Amino acid sequence: MMAVFDTPEEAFGVLRPVCVQLTKTQTVENVEHLQTRLQAVSDSALQELQQYILFPLRFTLKTPGPKRERLIQSVVECLTFVLSSTCVKEQELLRELFSELSACLYSPSSQKPAAVSEELKLAVIQGLSTLMHSAYGDIILTFYEPSILPRLGFAVSLLLGLAEQEKSKQIKIAALKCLQVLLLQCDCQDHPRSLDELEQKQLGDLFASFLPGISTTLTRVITGDFKQGHRIVVSSLKIFYKTVSFIMADEQLERISKVQAKSAVEHRVAELMVHREADWVKNTGDKLTILIKKIIECVSVHPHWKVRLELVELVEDLLLKCSQSLVESAGPLLKALVGLVNDESPEVQAQCNKVLRHFADQKVVVVNKALADILSESLHSLATSLPRLMTSQDDQGKFSTLSLLLGYLKLLGPKVNFVLNSVAHLQRLSKALIQVLELDVADIKIVEERRWNSDGLNASPKTSATQPWNHIQRRYFRFFTDERIFMLLRQVCQLLGYYGHLYLLVDHFMELYRQSVVYRKQAAMILNELVTGAAGLEVEDLHEKHIKTNPEELREIVTSILEEYTSQENWYLVTCIETEEMGEELMVEHPGLQAIPSGEHTSQVTSFLAFSKPSPTVCSMNSNIWQICIQLEGIGQFAYALGKDFCLLLMSTLYPVLEKAGDQTLLISQVATSTMMDICHACGYDSLQHLINQNSDYLVNGISLNLRHLALHPHTPKVLEVMLRNSDASLLPLVADVVQDVLATLDQFYDKRAASFVSVLHALLAALAQWFPDTGHLRHLQEQSLGEEGSHLNQRPATLENSTTAEDIEQFLLNYLKEKDVADGNVSDFDNEEEEQPVPPKVEENDTHPDVEPPLPLQIQIAMDVMERCIHLLSDTNLQIRLKVLCTLGSKCGDFLRSRFCKDVLPKLAGSLVTQAPISARAGPVYSHTLAFKLQLAVLQGLGPLCERLDLGEGDLNKVADACLIYLSAKQPVKLQEAARSVFLHLMKVDPDSTWFLLSELYCPMQFTPPHPSLHPVQLRGASGQQNLYTANVLHLLKELQ
Amino acid sequence: MAAPCPLPPPDPQFVLRGTQSPVHALHFCEGGQAQGHPLLFSGSQSGLVHIWSLRMRRALATLDGHGGQCVTWLQTLPQEHQLLSQGRDLKLCLWDLAEGRNAVVDSVHLENVGFCRSSILVQGQPRWMLAVPGKGSDEVQILEMPSKTSVCTLKPEADAKLGMPMCLRLWQADCSPRPLLLAGYEDGSVALWDVSEQKVCSRIACHEEPVMDLDFDSQKAKGISGSAGKALAVWSLDGQQALQVCGTHQLTNPGIAEVTIRPDRKILATAGWDHRIRVFQWRKMQPLAVLAFHSAAVQCVAFAANGLLAAGSKDQRISLWSLYPRA
Repeated sequence: MMAVFDTPEEAFGVLRPVCVQLTKTQTVENVEHLQTRLQAVSDSALQELQQYILFPLRFTLKTPGPKRERLIQSVVECLTFVLSSTCVKEQELLRELFSELSACLYSPSSQKPAAVSEELKLAVIQGLSTLMHSAYGDIILTFYEPSILPRLGFAVSLLLGLAEQEKSKQIKIAALKCLQVLLLQCDCQDHPRSLDELEQKQLGDLFASFLPGISTTLTRVITGDFKQGHRIVVSSLKIFYKTVSFIMADEQLERISKVQAKSAVEHRVAELMVHREADWVKNTGDKLTILIKKIIECVSVHPHWKVRLELVELVEDLLLKCSQSLVESAGPLLKALVGLVNDESPEVQAQCNKVLRHFADQKVVVVNKALADILSESLHSLATSLPRLMTSQDDQGKFSTLSLLLGYLKLLGPKVNFVLNSVAHLQRLSKALIQVLELDVADIKIVEERRWNSDGLNASPKTSATQPWNHIQRRYFRFFTDERIFMLLRQVCQLLGYYGHLYLLVDHFMELYRQSVVYRKQAAMILNELVTGAAGLEVEDLHEKHIKTNPEELREIVTSILEEYTSQENWYLVTCIETEEMGEELMVEHPGLQAIPSGEHTSQVTSFLAFSKPSPTVCSMNSNIWQICIQLEGIGQFAYALGKDFCLLLMSTLYPVLEKAGDQTLLISQVATSTMMDICHACGYDSLQHLINQNSDYLVNGISLNLRHLALHPHTPKVLEVMLRNSDASLLPLVADVVQDVLATLDQFYDKRAASFVSVLHALLAALAQWFPDTGHLRHLQEQSLGEEGSHLNQRPATLENSTTAEDIEQFLLNYLKEKDVADGNVSDFDNEEEEQPVPPKVEENDTHPDVEPPLPLQIQIAMDVMERCIHLLSDTNLQIRLKVLCTLGSKCGDFLRSRFCKDVLPKLAGSLVTQAPISARAGPVYSHTLAFKLQLAVLQGLGPLCERLDLGEGDLNKVADACLIYLSAKQPVKLQEAARSVFLHLMKVDPDSTWFLLSELYCPMQFTPPHPSLHPVQLRGASGQQNLYTANVLHLLKELQ
Repeated sequence: MAAPCPLPPPDPQFVLRGTQSPVHALHFCEGGQAQGHPLLFSGSQSGLVHIWSLRMRRALATLDGHGGQCVTWLQTLPQEHQLLSQGRDLKLCLWDLAEGRNAVVDSVHLENVGFCRSSILVQGQPRWMLAVPGKGSDEVQILEMPSKTSVCTLKPEADAKLGMPMCLRLWQADCSPRPLLLAGYEDGSVALWDVSEQKVCSRIACHEEPVMDLDFDSQKAKGISGSAGKALAVWSLDGQQALQVCGTHQLTNPGIAEVTIRPDRKILATAGWDHRIRVFQWRKMQPLAVLAFHSAAVQCVAFAANGLLAAGSKDQRISLWSLYPRA
């Protein structure tokens, strides 16, 4: 607003009447009049007339007798207005105004502030605040001389009372603000320069008298209801620590003489004065410690982050300024700080870290013996109570306790070894960690979840994060559920690994790992984190000069841990009931059960197992699964920790990890795969394939050695299979080498485990075929799989098409006759010549030793060796293996096998199907649990692919068809019908016409009219149109043919 | 579980693959790379020398200097990263391997294609003595190296009928500077030559088949030889430099390709044509182990200073054995 009256004269002219009026009659209206006029007066004019204007106002306040509150309020407001626009230049005026304003809230009857309206209270508080701000220059300092003590004390207690007891938030905050101003803590610009030593001391002496009142009242406010709002607590905290750190500042107290100087103040005041000598400091310190503890206890769990942030400030201020005087509080203060290191609010965390770093930089911890000792002691006592706390506390409690532990470790840095070197403390610490990390292994899903597909190594390392723990498996703990607690525990272990004596720690936890299966998983988790921490990759170091474990040492430590992890007794644990071996055992004990499919359907086997031998419990298998997973994750973390250095450990780790990647338990195979990706990252391979390919020599070494003890390492063939899938032709010599071992082992174990070998041999031949494609052979395979021209009778006949011409028919007949001729055995130089020819060995042209017989190419030699073994496997007692082998062979060398199959195998299979058919047709639902049923099913399921692969001739196909036809009957069990249909689906691919014919003989849904009148109408037996037992299945199949 | 399982047969610590050819010679070289990880040299029938890092368990380099002809003997010189390789191409090559080089710096032409491996004796730097099969089929030639000057030719008396020398071991007694040569001959005898006097000091017929290899423990003045037959012979040397047979050890299968005493002279190992490696205690010739891993004749065995045993076989693999695994 524009000032209308710039000069004092003008202003006086305007103000005088209202001032006089007010002096005469003290009413709210008159005060308001005055205030209205004041608005139009400039500040400079106002300053000139300050005393004059103040007079009627002060007069009103001082007039004895009861006054209306409303009047006082308006007077105070008006006064405040004047003060806000002017300076108080006289000491005396300042003091008087101070007293007069304070007195407005004085209630002679009680200690408490007078029971006046909230508006009035607010006005007075504002007035006081404004008054202190209006004090001009140095007079503010002279204001604080001993004689003011009683008046100042009154105001302070008044404000404290308002802050504590008022209901209105606004008043509380205003009171606290005003208190700040009074105590010279105001952070606004208008305040005097920083105080010199003497001034500080004088003020300190003065304020010391208020310390008990301020500290106790503010503590009550701070520890009050969380609901009172965070701003009140924040302000109170600020005043508390600023006041304490000012009065108790070590710097000031150092200079205080033992004897109190005689002061020139009157006796009454002198009694109030405090002399801050040693005893007083000690006493006050003790009392403050109690309050500080209360505050910390309450504020460190305050829900509002700004409050916790203020606590960090409090700790920093007090520890930096009062570490001597508040020595007893240092412990709790540090504890508070340390406990906030992992605060959920990033602001608090950051500030905490900043303060801790500041302490570390200032060597507060390292040089100041007291602090370092306190930390050590606190860690000692925390370590002692940790096991108890970990069992008794709830998640929130655990979280704060562990945060605290983490903070101590951060703060102590390398000095943590003082604690670790004490056997008792290390034991307690480790006991607590082991205890709290106990897993809950009751989840049955883990055991149940199986991996079904065998070639799942497709994950690319790009999809995974670079830090192993970002994809760590979610686990469940017995003693806590909060994921943050696990993160804290990991950080604790990492810090231990970073600062602690690594050999000592690894030794200790290795010992626990070996000691009992109860500790093993936890110990492994801890070891994993210790190593990660030791590498120092994720650790935020407050002690920058700390020397990390050197890479060579770290590698040695990792090597020894890995040795333990991958040892026979820790790596090959029972995680499921192994079907293959169990199958064998069962065969011995119950010869009648051999038809149990040796697939992965464990549930069927378990029931039998129950009486053969005590089965491992779900819990123990779960526990084993977790142990393996933790160890696998550990390997990934070690790879991360060692980086390229891990390459040197691949020779011993790649094999076991790859083995687990093929584990049947889903969880294990997932974790192993991600471990492999961690290894890829660490060692610089861009894919799992690359990793495997480049390290096949290590794998082959493991495979070859493990094949020597196949009973102990039943999964070895699986590893080879995976390796073969991920290798290329450059590895042929290596493959040739290990194949010799495989075959030699197979020779020893034809009776057992043949099934796992068959799939390796299949993978091997597939790999060879892929690495050394033979164009002629390849074409043959393609034709076969396409099923278009591969067979003799398969010149897609024209009869089924609509636009049939006589020429078509003629051609068909000619073809038919020709093929009938072939079928009867009159084989001429037919076009199947190329198939029957064995793969011709290509002779090296540039052979320099003509006397030496040129060796067969390696791949052909391998293939020949494999075939030789396969012939033996054909006589295996396990039907599944036989059929599998036949299929494998059939796909690779059909002609060679066809004759033997037709002569020896087929008649028996067909015979058994025919004799068994009437039985199954009559049987009830229990039949599907019998051996006979399973046999029938296996044969029916196997025949189709075999016929197709072996490329059987017409006669043999008919045998197969005849034997299977009866299973198309609706009387047969549904599963057998399905299987029989599958046989026909395969037969259709080989020979659609005769299959069609055969089916149509059973049931034909339509009549056929000859395409040409010169031909006889077709008479099909099934064309009667009568529904029969076969109708459903035949229709189904015929539909497929169209 | 039921009955305690019997200990599984011992396994090699690891197996080196990749020579792609039968392995005929092995030699360890200490202090090549990082501490505790010696280098291993292997010589193959295809004429290549592979240098293996035992730290990585991989071939670091391949030396091709014998024109595809079998490498039968490998030996490093105590200094300067030099390797000697003998091949059936009638060449003995001296390789410089320092600082990653691998070049032939010198070679000696041999005049006899026989089976006999050479031997060296380092007398004082930089001179050393080399024994190689000589021009005449029963001769041994002694050369002074690196000058390649012929010192002498050791030729048995005409009526001795020893046949070809099959294996050589140059050595020197602690008490005397005179170089001595132990040589095993085709007729099954072992002879001790005094190189300076060019005469046979002593000779014993300890085998019925050609001596395939011998090793000598100069401290105990005791040696051992293996032959194409079924026996190992242990013999000793008395103060008068006379050889005496101390005993023989019968084997189940004939044929020892190489016999090597471990540097600490506690145990020895033999390479058997029966695919097996046999380990004996040296003092009493107590059999300690029969190591079965290879699928073809074992052609050579070698010990590293840290006790690691390597065996090379016709099956193209080199097996490495830690005989006393860490407790």
